[in-house]
Amino acid sequence: MDTDTAPKFSVSEFLEVCNQTLEYSFSSVIIEGEVSSFKINQGKWVFFDLKDDNSSVSCFIPLFQLRTPIEDGMKILVRGTPKVTPWGRFSFTVRQIMPVGEGNIKKSFELLKKKLAKEGLFDPLKKRSIPDNLTKIGVISSTGAAGYADFCKIINARWGGLEIQVCHTQVQGMIAPEQIIRALKYLNERTEVQIIAIIRGGGSADDLACFNDELLTREIAASRIPVITGIGHEVDESLADLAADICASTPSNCAEMLSKDRRLELKNISDTIKHLKTALYQQIDTENSKLAHHITSINSTFRKQIDLYNYQTNEKIRAFRQKIDEQIHQTSSKLESNIKIIESFNPDLVLSR
Amino acid sequence: MAENKSINQKITELDTAVNWFYSDDFSLDQAAEKYKSTIKLAKDIQKDLETLKNKIEVIDKDFSKD
Repeated sequence: MDTDTAPKFSVSEFLEVCNQTLEYSFSSVIIEGEVSSFKINQGKWVFFDLKDDNSSVSCFIPLFQLRTPIEDGMKILVRGTPKVTPWGRFSFTVRQIMPVGEGNIKKSFELLKKKLAKEGLFDPLKKRSIPDNLTKIGVISSTGAAGYADFCKIINARWGGLEIQVCHTQVQGMIAPEQIIRALKYLNERTEVQIIAIIRGGGSADDLACFNDELLTREIAASRIPVITGIGHEVDESLADLAADICASTPSNCAEMLSKDRRLELKNISDTIKHLKTALYQQIDTENSKLAHHITSINSTFRKQIDLYNYQTNEKIRAFRQKIDEQIHQTSSKLESNIKIIESFNPDLVLSR
Repeated sequence: MAENKSINQKITELDTAVNWFYSDDFSLDQAAEKYKSTIKLAKDIQKDLETLKNKIEVIDKDFSKD
């Protein structure tokens, strides 16, 4: 043994070398298997076995890193690193978990939905609407994906003048949630976009499972900037959709919701120009009518004044004539009386008597 | 300054200008000038709608890393 060239270690050194070798060879691996013996210790540590028909591996993950609810019998994917514990036990330290298969995804979705709903993450009263005068949009999507192409095609056809900042991320698989979270943080902290659109075209339940990640759902609910999702097809529902302020049914629908229709707007502008002429003519007609009314009113007042003046003048003339007639009459009477008196003194008449 | 306005801002401005013609503030003295400026604004918007394109920029950052 003394002359043996084989490396010699203490137990601790040996386990350390084993772990270094494991980390070098399998720094990040994904294993698919079925959950069994799931348990949470001291409210902090999660232990479970991942097994298939012939083998089983012990898994460990801190509770705070468990972003998807799991239970015994569920088929899942785990990402992590293998390790030998100081007690010489082989264990797999899990960093990420994703359920596999429609039934398991649905079960996990319902468990997490219930938990997050209880915390108020999907509260309809907290939902914000699409901002008015939208000019700056942030988009999180895979720029090579069909859903992103649909979004761009529709929004470019419908409207112009928008500034769209795109964060290219994975939108499928275990690494997608972390990338989307980073993009959400980036857009919230480093840009002035008014709304963030998370875009992903249709796919299987496995393809869309990343949008049921707990941390991603929380990040969407906590976003300072309103979030709209356009994920999958109309029938698909993810926790990301529930946490978002607005949920469009598809990427194309999302583009429609974020943009006006320029053809409709052009028609509106043409109609506005026509209506403006009509409005102006109507106002001129109204002003003309007012003027005509004023003129009629002035004529009427003036006519009344003339009539009054005529009447007063005629009255004065009549009174004056009456007075003259009376004076003439008085003078005539007086004259007749005087004539009679003078005649009574006529010498011929006196002599004849 | 007018060039810096977005289409939406111009459309809002157009709505306000058009409403003036229906409002009690309407006066014949200002009508001709207002009509000319409103029609010009409407034509500007039409031109913008026909020519403006969206600016799409992919952010130069690798989100697979912290």
